Amino acid sequence: MAFQSEFINIAIADLSDCAANRKAEGARYVQTLAVNTEAGVDLIYTFMAGDKIDNYKIPAVSKDDVVPSISQDFLAAFVWENEIHDLFGITFEGIAIDFGGAFYDLAVKEPMTVISPAQLAAREKAAKIAAAKAAKEQAQAASAPANADAELEAKLAGMDPEKAAKVRAAMEAKAKKEAAAKAAEKDAEMEAKLAAMDPEKAAKVRAAMEAKAKKEAAAAAQQKEGE
Amino acid sequence: MSGFKLGGMTLGSVFKKPETTLYPFEQKVAPKGLRGHVAISPETCILCGICQKSCPCGAITVDKKARTWEIRRFSCVQCGACVRSCPKACLSMETAYTKPATGKSSHVVEVPDTKER
Amino acid sequence: MGKATVIPFGPQHPVLPEPLHLDLVVQDEKVVEAIPQIGFVHRGLEKLVETRDYNQFLYVCERICGICAAGHSIGYAETIERLMGVEVPKRAEYLRVIWHELSRVHSHLLWLGLAADAFGFESLFMHAWRLRERVLDIFEKTTGGRVILSVVKVGGVHRDIDDSQMKEIIYVLDGIMDDYRKIMNTLLTDYSVKNRTVGVGTLSHEEALALSMVGPFARASNVNYDVRSLGNGAYGDLSDFQPILDAQGDCYARVKVRCLEVLQSIEIIKELAAKMPAGDISVTVKGSPAEGAEVCNVLEQPRGECYYYARGNGSKNLERMRIRTPTSQNIAGMVSALKGCDLADVNMVILTIDPCISCTER
Repeated sequence: MAFQSEFINIAIADLSDCAANRKAEGARYVQTLAVNTEAGVDLIYTFMAGDKIDNYKIPAVSKDDVVPSISQDFLAAFVWENEIHDLFGITFEGIAIDFGGAFYDLAVKEPMTVISPAQLAAREKAAKIAAAKAAKEQAQAASAPANADAELEAKLAGMDPEKAAKVRAAMEAKAKKEAAAKAAEKDAEMEAKLAAMDPEKAAKVRAAMEAKAKKEAAAAAQQKEGE
Repeated sequence: MSGFKLGGMTLGSVFKKPETTLYPFEQKVAPKGLRGHVAISPETCILCGICQKSCPCGAITVDKKARTWEIRRFSCVQCGACVRSCPKACLSMETAYTKPATGKSSHVVEVPDTKER
Repeated sequence: MGKATVIPFGPQHPVLPEPLHLDLVVQDEKVVEAIPQIGFVHRGLEKLVETRDYNQFLYVCERICGICAAGHSIGYAETIERLMGVEVPKRAEYLRVIWHELSRVHSHLLWLGLAADAFGFESLFMHAWRLRERVLDIFEKTTGGRVILSVVKVGGVHRDIDDSQMKEIIYVLDGIMDDYRKIMNTLLTDYSVKNRTVGVGTLSHEEALALSMVGPFARASNVNYDVRSLGNGAYGDLSDFQPILDAQGDCYARVKVRCLEVLQSIEIIKELAAKMPAGDISVTVKGSPAEGAEVCNVLEQPRGECYYYARGNGSKNLERMRIRTPTSQNIAGMVSALKGCDLADVNMVILTIDPCISCTER
């Protein structure tokens, strides 16, 4: 990048010294801005020397804090400090040209800190979705097979090709057996349910199952022929 | 003489072709690609509503049940976001500007149902 | 020694180009103090990030100001590209700079006309705006709009300028140069113009540094700062870029700096047009800015350095978008320059700052 920029956290008490130091070095004052967050208002002061932009961030300033003004060192700051006072409600002490809240003639006081009901609803919804996603990811990570598979694949890749083929065949056979076992379990469950059900309904369900089995067999036969 | 520095240019303007066009007798030819107003070809529209979501002014309303596509021309800023985002490319930007009027109006288009034959 | 009178100036005034209000404390025709008041065009645009996603907000950003429209769209797009780590193709960077420099030419021509009109030189005003119309016609042909271009997007640009269009642009700019040199000559060597501008509203180099001024306003007081020298985007490919400086610091110096900047911009456009690389004009950008990511960016607009700040919150809407425009930084300088000038020179001083109050208040 043509210029470098950096974000540095400082405290309210350090602000005056920081501004005085930068002025003594001959740095240029660029701007002051405020960001409304849940914890408070973040203030960012920017200075520039050469091609380096330094952004000093004071996180989470509340309405009760009093921030010292830097307009004695840098007169151009009075515009921003008045604007932040009007739009965000932060109190600055000692602004060189102080408009006392009449800089912008606003209909709503401190509008940038006002969050409309529609916005609140949208934020809560986004927070819920994010929480659900995090929970789902945790649950997935907890299940081991995913990890085990990855490890096995890595081992196979490192092994002798013939041996690898044998191992893979064995793994497939094991998987088929497990699938067959699962299918058998499912069948047993179905039988139990059918026995418990109404005879007519049971007959219908059985017919449907047979049709499905026929279809699956036909599909499997086609696949084998294809191979 | 130290004055009349623009004298040459002023005198020249008497003889040169004027810089302005004699509107309304001569109309300026709109260049190709001028962003004038948004037009729709309704046969291709699938009423997905992506144009409504991408409009920064909220000028487009798509009603899927009633099968209509509506644009409020006086809210449109001719940015072209809807034209670019349409998945079926049924929106286009024409070169004629919306004429001034005494009241705001909407342009409603019925989207025919191509499935019914 | 007379009593001090307070004269309200603006927001509606025949020679005032922008809705700015000044309370001039005047003593016997000399201005002792000037107290500014802005807020007449405050639209609260920065709060719109809550309801418009980062692609739609580009169109809001463009409309912060009609004169600097190209600059704001380019600055915003660059900021979001930094936030999301998107690399823009070289050809797109060149096209953006060409449109931005054309925007600088049109803005300075507009300003030249207004400055001449401020002390009554209406025919020069008409000639300057006549030349500006040719630049606006170029915008219309290449982007589809005269003032609001809507051609930049996050990830590149929408439209391309092919070779025949580029030749036409250079042809039009060459055609402007002849008439423009006559206008410039008139403005800078005419006796009456010099009478109204030399020695008026002087700000020394130390004062300019102390007041953190930016743009041609500061460069006329010998402050050597121009964001284009940092080499962002295609500006880094320019063979030799030197900011235009002047040591006098009065209205005449500011007029001279802006007049020469137009010629410099035309040279930049010609240089980049000759070197333009072939390739794509945009990349597709998917996803949203990461939560808590913050970034800053600077751009040299016609009026000075513009600072952009963006913070993401993980969704398609940005958490905060902040544009610090050059005129708002120069308000302190303007107030200082007005001290001690005659009442009749007030509008001259204000105009040579090139105010853009729409940008200031957003």
